[in-house]
Amino acid sequence: MNEIFGMFQGLINGFGIALTLNNLTFALIGALLGTVVGILPGLGPAATISLLLPLSFKIGDPITSIIMMAGIFYGAMYGGSTTSILVNIPGEAASVVTCIDGYQMALKGRAGPALGIAAIGSFIAGTLGVIGLTFVAPPLAEFALKFGPPEYFSLTILGLLMATLLGGSSILKGLVMIVLGLLLGSVGLDPISGAIRFTWGFFLLQEGVDFVTLAMGLFGVGEILYNLEKEMKTELVTRKISHLWPTLKDWAESKWAIVRGSFIGFFVGILPGGGAVISSLISYAVEKKVSKHPEEFGKGAIQGVAGPESANNSAASASFIPLLTLGIPGNAAIAMIFAALLIQGVQPGPFLIAERADVFWGVVASMYIGNAMLLILNLPMVGMWVQLLSVPYAILAPIIVLFCCIGVYSVRNTVFDVWIMGIFGVFGYLLRKLDFEPGPMILAFVLGPILERSLRQALLISAGSPLIFFKRPISGTLMGFLILFILFQIIMVIRKRKAGKKSESY
Amino acid sequence: MEKLKKMFCMLVLCSLLIIPTLAGAQEKFPTKPIELVVPFAAGGSTDVLARLVAKFAPKYFDKPLVVINKPGGGGVTGTEGVVRSTPDGHTLYVGYGSGHDLVMPHFQKLPYKTFEDLVPVCLLSVHSVVMIIRGDAPYKTMKELIEWGKKREQVTASVSTKAGSVDITLQAVGKATGLKIVTVPFRGGAEAVTAIVGGQTDSGGNHPSEVISHIKAKRLIPIAVALEQRDPAIPDVPTFKELGYNVVTVGSVKGVAAPKATPPDAIRYLAERFKKICDDQEFIQAMKDIGQPVMYKSPSDFGKYLQEGYEQYGKLIKEFNIKLE
Repeated sequence: MNEIFGMFQGLINGFGIALTLNNLTFALIGALLGTVVGILPGLGPAATISLLLPLSFKIGDPITSIIMMAGIFYGAMYGGSTTSILVNIPGEAASVVTCIDGYQMALKGRAGPALGIAAIGSFIAGTLGVIGLTFVAPPLAEFALKFGPPEYFSLTILGLLMATLLGGSSILKGLVMIVLGLLLGSVGLDPISGAIRFTWGFFLLQEGVDFVTLAMGLFGVGEILYNLEKEMKTELVTRKISHLWPTLKDWAESKWAIVRGSFIGFFVGILPGGGAVISSLISYAVEKKVSKHPEEFGKGAIQGVAGPESANNSAASASFIPLLTLGIPGNAAIAMIFAALLIQGVQPGPFLIAERADVFWGVVASMYIGNAMLLILNLPMVGMWVQLLSVPYAILAPIIVLFCCIGVYSVRNTVFDVWIMGIFGVFGYLLRKLDFEPGPMILAFVLGPILERSLRQALLISAGSPLIFFKRPISGTLMGFLILFILFQIIMVIRKRKAGKKSESY
Repeated sequence: MEKLKKMFCMLVLCSLLIIPTLAGAQEKFPTKPIELVVPFAAGGSTDVLARLVAKFAPKYFDKPLVVINKPGGGGVTGTEGVVRSTPDGHTLYVGYGSGHDLVMPHFQKLPYKTFEDLVPVCLLSVHSVVMIIRGDAPYKTMKELIEWGKKREQVTASVSTKAGSVDITLQAVGKATGLKIVTVPFRGGAEAVTAIVGGQTDSGGNHPSEVISHIKAKRLIPIAVALEQRDPAIPDVPTFKELGYNVVTVGSVKGVAAPKATPPDAIRYLAERFKKICDDQEFIQAMKDIGQPVMYKSPSDFGKYLQEGYEQYGKLIKEFNIKLE
């Protein structure tokens, strides 16, 4: 009881800090900047925060600068969906999967509801994530630490099975994409033995292909190349807009997707190495699995926007938990915030809540305010964004390519990656022409390396015994799910066959 | 006529642009901001070091220092960029002496010569390799770990990457103590720390800056340092040598380098100013807080130190027959 009282006390003090004019201003700047880098394809929060690190020392107060950086991070999750929905190009890595159904909605004249539900879902999930951060951060962070290599292996193999569900009509084509994704993911140094794989002598490939480079090439440049072929329309999707806001029916269809997405995002966000990208992919696969109309996915299902967009926001909030309570940065953007705190003499970790309560609660409180600001910023902008689509594609396309190049360059400050993006652009164009879906490939590309690494790490730890996957409680449970899942699928196939035979005999 | 007028205006404007550059050519070094190229991702320990130096620079340098991250190829890409840059002292490499300088050349041919193509400016810090165990492990010291480990099939140790300075040092510990240490490579120091904090491995190797907060929280116990002398960042921790095991490496050296043809005047200026930062009490304290010792060495001493470190790793790699499969 005392503890809960202490949390409220801390939170109230935190609001006292976050509500000063200075901190409010910087929260707003962060949220605005975040929205902008979210919208601009390729340019992500990690690169932006690293560019702004020197500025953050000028601000002086570590609380103020972290409030701004956090704003950029979760703000980007709001902005990312906009580009995905309107032009079928992910504005941010975590919005890759939003392209699939978001853009289809836009094509049907439902860009407004898609944008609206993305913003509302983001707000609900972001706020739920911050509530989690406020009340259950320390125990949950301890739980996340139990996630070692065996748990990762079990989780990813479950995820990879789900990847087969991401595919469209053809199972064969889906499998081809998964294999391609796995192959691409294996480029670079072998994680365990250090052997060099598929780098063709390029040192820049030793750390593998960057996700942003791949996503911007496949989705960004690929989409534009594909559109060049079509007859030049002055506008893409604005011709028929039925309504600007989500209807009650939209809301009814997506509310549970938002809740599920929030929980998936929160859980994946806490895991070391997890984050917004993986959570959005998982959320999409889950939505497709639980939907009564899975055939609508890929054709403009609103749950395919609501789920992933909620998941990435919730994950963004949740990824602050291991940073602030354990001093463990889970992804690139959070690592940047970690560095900023260190340089300003604040050590994130188990002592932060006790030693620098002002930093912890100030930042947490600012995230409630920031999420509200983002909702207020984003909802009225929906109309404006839809108008953006009336810009002729001949003008819009080169601008998008330009921003893709800048964004990819900003990840590692090298032109090499821009070339790689170009190659993937051509590849993405070919995929579209041949009617292959890039979704399973992206998921395999993200999960493949985790799968390989965790399998080999786990076997090193167990001295070669595969029993490690079944003996440990979390991993064992996940493996149980996996076996049930496979059995279920087999039974379904057998039943279908039997039913098929019966109907034949009639 | 109108055209001529315009052209004339353009000429005047252009000449205005040239004036400052002409004037600059006669000025003394530095004539523009100095780029500190960090060949690793922002947020890592080398990056934090460079940014702290840049933060204190305005007190001592005539131009600002700007940190630029060029990660890729384990550090090779960014370093190569500095090697190929204009050798005027305005482009420097921070992190000279890291794994890709002292360890990687023993396994792979690099696109440049680490010692011929770069000139040492000064040493800033050394990131030693410290062996760590969990605070609640059944062993609390090196001796207890050895006793415990000898009864078991293997002792696992989390390391940041395969065949990096930490991996090689811990393999050497295995040979020296007679333990069967199996190193489990993770993706970078932060993930390796997460693994040992989470109890995934029996022990681990890290740089002090990566584990200092966990040591303070008593989640992790540092049991030995692989340096010739104790690490000032964690002065209570004994060296392997003190404990009777001959495991000595230079860890990961963090110095500054410039491309080879950089004028000696510029090197002198830089070394002198970096020394002033290293003597700054506030800087020393800030470094101490993040678990990085300040260890200044002049250009020539630093050069010798690097060479020795390189040979030391070569010897270890040969002795223990460490290979990339």
